[in-house]
Amino acid sequence: MDSGLPPFFAYFECAMSQIARLVDPAMLRVYNLGYDSWQTVYFQRFTVIVSELVLLYALQMFIDSAHGTSRRAAQAAAISILLSPGLLIIDHIHFQYNGCMYGILIASLVLARHKSGLLVSGLVFAALLCMKHIYAYLAPAYFVFLLRTYCLSPRSIYKIQFFNCVKLGSGISAILGLAFGPFALKGQIPQILSRLFPFSRGLCHAYWAPNVWAMYSFMDRLLITVAPRVGLTVNEEALKSVTRGLVGDTSFAVLPEVTPRMCFALTLLFQAIPLTKLFLRPTWEAFIGAVTLCGYASFLFGWHVHEKAILLVIIPFSLIALRDRRHLSAFRPLAVAGHVSLFPLLYTPAEFPIKTVYTIFWLMLFLVMFDRLAPASNRQRFFLFDRFSTLYIAISIPLIAYCSLVHSVVFGNRYEFMPLMFMSSYSAVGVVGSWLGFMGVYFTS
Amino acid sequence: MAAPSSAAHKPRRKAKKTATYDAIAKPEALVRTPSFPLAAFLWPARGSVSQWEVLPLILMAVGLFRWAAGLWGYSGFQTPPMFGDFEAQRHWMEITTQLPISQWYFHDFQWWGLDYPPLTAYHSWLLGKIGAIIDPTWFELFASRGSHDPTLKIYMRATVIVSEYLIYIPAAVIFVRRYSRLFGVAPWTAWVSLVAILMQPATILIDHVHFQYNTVMLGFVLSSMSSMLAGRHMWAAVFFVAALGFKQMALYYAPAVFSFLLGSCIYPRINVGRFATIAIATAISFAILILPIVLGTLYDASRGIDSQPDLDGPHPPLPIFPQLAEYLDTNAICYPVVEQLVQMVHRVFPFSRGLFEDKVANFWCAINVVIKMRKYPAVLLQRISLAATLAAIAPANFILLIRPRKELLPYAFAATAWGFFMFSYQVHEKSALLPLLPMTILLAGNQGLGKDIRAWVGFANLLGAWTMFPLLSRVDLKVPYAVLTLLWAYLLGLPPTSTSAYFQEGQSAWLQWSTAIVHGAFYLLMIVWHGLAQFVAPPLISLTCGSSRMSESALLASRCVISGVLANWSRKAVYLQET
Repeated sequence: MDSGLPPFFAYFECAMSQIARLVDPAMLRVYNLGYDSWQTVYFQRFTVIVSELVLLYALQMFIDSAHGTSRRAAQAAAISILLSPGLLIIDHIHFQYNGCMYGILIASLVLARHKSGLLVSGLVFAALLCMKHIYAYLAPAYFVFLLRTYCLSPRSIYKIQFFNCVKLGSGISAILGLAFGPFALKGQIPQILSRLFPFSRGLCHAYWAPNVWAMYSFMDRLLITVAPRVGLTVNEEALKSVTRGLVGDTSFAVLPEVTPRMCFALTLLFQAIPLTKLFLRPTWEAFIGAVTLCGYASFLFGWHVHEKAILLVIIPFSLIALRDRRHLSAFRPLAVAGHVSLFPLLYTPAEFPIKTVYTIFWLMLFLVMFDRLAPASNRQRFFLFDRFSTLYIAISIPLIAYCSLVHSVVFGNRYEFMPLMFMSSYSAVGVVGSWLGFMGVYFTS
Repeated sequence: MAAPSSAAHKPRRKAKKTATYDAIAKPEALVRTPSFPLAAFLWPARGSVSQWEVLPLILMAVGLFRWAAGLWGYSGFQTPPMFGDFEAQRHWMEITTQLPISQWYFHDFQWWGLDYPPLTAYHSWLLGKIGAIIDPTWFELFASRGSHDPTLKIYMRATVIVSEYLIYIPAAVIFVRRYSRLFGVAPWTAWVSLVAILMQPATILIDHVHFQYNTVMLGFVLSSMSSMLAGRHMWAAVFFVAALGFKQMALYYAPAVFSFLLGSCIYPRINVGRFATIAIATAISFAILILPIVLGTLYDASRGIDSQPDLDGPHPPLPIFPQLAEYLDTNAICYPVVEQLVQMVHRVFPFSRGLFEDKVANFWCAINVVIKMRKYPAVLLQRISLAATLAAIAPANFILLIRPRKELLPYAFAATAWGFFMFSYQVHEKSALLPLLPMTILLAGNQGLGKDIRAWVGFANLLGAWTMFPLLSRVDLKVPYAVLTLLWAYLLGLPPTSTSAYFQEGQSAWLQWSTAIVHGAFYLLMIVWHGLAQFVAPPLISLTCGSSRMSESALLASRCVISGVLANWSRKAVYLQET
């Protein structure tokens, strides 16, 4: 495995390894890949838990920043993030350090709540970007928000607060210099960039993250059977390379190919729409909403998106999901779809009960609790949308049962891609539905 | 307006009992803040939350802990030649599915011969049949011995959980509901105690980590107890026979069951009809229990299948009750059945083994430090242990016999099982689960989550888990042991995580201090012992210090627990006289 993460993460790992040396020196020999003594596993898992203290601290900051009646809601949201099945599956079973990263993100989001914290918020986010570049997807929201509230005068957008601009600019350059400087001196920047942005990989990730492209592929599969009758041409080559859940190029048999440039343009377009509103009305709630929508746009239209990127949407959304019932009804299908879409990451039978039972436990606990805590909205709710989400949640149970048990009993090892395809198409419907719903809520509130 | 009559303000439920109890102990309604972490976790569930929202969450959370604990190794994992309890259970699935029924109790004793009553055998048969559908190689005769296929492990772990969720957990839910209603305990408080009962560390460690099916037997016992609470004496008898038919260890409770059922036939008035019903139901359930074995043996005999095919020449005489052979013709049709049943009893009750196993914490093991018990003849030891056991269980059962009150059931069950655990013959570490269960369910009773009962129940459970440490550390299961016991201690606010369960207002300072000092001394000893066992020459510590200290201390503690129970009784006796 190569180090596909920016420099600050490398420094973080370096700090870890200093401690690891004390535990078991054999862990650290450079070519010791796939080394797994018990001590290593214990140590690695333990570091994940310890690094999650950052998340805990950030959530406490979030609770402290809420006042009055929203405090209980903030507590519930904070606990839901801390116990998130996404973090359990990705960090504690699959193994990553997302808890710590999202802790930093939340800290930065919370800091932006007050005027005095804006500068620090921006700098913390810059540091976070140097730890994991996936957060660059959220950067446009930060850019617009900081530009509007920090660099421009609150009264008029034509007055520039020059001193603030200098502070922010020099702070960010210092952080970037700290991160990339040592590598720039040795002339390794191109090497780093090629590792960070691997455009040579395919459109869809191995397990088909539930985004627009998953629905697009699903449509393509369906059209293969329909196309000959309608008179569409079928690309014969693509038929042979049916995506069986393997990494590589997805080629479409009937529908036109998708290029990285198209993905990039669509992402930017759908990020720009909510950002215009943020620019006009720069409140903290609108900022969180814009961050969430930037996450949505990049997840839905991005190139080679990994399933776990759904946390980029779920976690910022959790912070405002309890504002009122309209927000909650957009959050509900996302919570179901986002977590269900992570299931294929864990595939051994021993992990099956853990991922399903824990996720169902979390969904039951928090959806019921959120339902009690979310206040009624003073605006009209979308009538149809509620029905949609209830039906949607109900479908998840037979689907999980089919994908994890029934399919293997009926078909054995054949059609392995089918459960993955169903799962991601189902989740994609939920994510897209919740995206549209939240867009509506965002623009009408 | 008419004079205020009591009829006009009659509450829908009679509050008589609760009022009397509240006079003895402080009312719970005044508690405004959670007094220990488990209560805090369930705090939002107070008020108008429906049980259909809380119960599934509790069962899922508890199940997750069980499954996660099961990811660890099991007894005998990769330890040839004999492996451990996991292999024993797997082997029984192998022999019950592959051999004719008449050979089950005769097959190769050297390799984990079947030594549990028939219901375990039927249970193994069912699980073996289902498992063979998934992968037939798991249970191939002889070829599958010592198999450590990871998928087999997952299957076996799943069978434990499924068995538990079908028997023990429904029984526990129903028991907690009935028992708490008996005292007018609020539903929310009952849920807290349900979680505490289901998270009992010793049970999870033995069944889901070490690997056994104790919860099936314990579930039947709990069902029997809740039938007693509901006044369904016949079903109490039937469930108890099922418990006995699953594991003979349920005999630890037998005197209490007997006393209660007999007592309820003679008090408050003699009830011959009830007695007859119970007797007949017991007889019929025993008959049904052994029926498959009897019929199977007859069928096999008629097909000419021998129960001991490896044997050259005639069958040996009966292993026990040899005098039976004088009355029976060895060629009679019923002789194979008699032989089969005698063999079963012989396998199930192995009197030929020693007085106690290696490090069990009971009285004989403790006294062995002073007097070497093994030098005395086995018969004498058996008689002494029988007399001691009877003496230990007599008071509790006598009270239950003359006053079969439902409130006393867990106390009497705990006292009887402790009596057996301390003094009986052939006790295993795992037997500590039996007295722990009725003790732990006291949490669901009157003031069960109050400091007094919580401190004692917690103390017994942590001690019980501690006595199982050698069993678990042998197969490197220290981490789940530490996590589950400390978690439970934390949830219930017990040492070593908190001292909040001690010292409450309104009790005599003398009693409180003595409790705290006794408990504190043992907790300290456990911590020091663990420290030594971890860092200082492990074999030395575990051999010398371990066996003697642990057993002595556990003995003393259990005695203290019994005296605590008796103290409770005396309090109850006062209450009984008042009403």
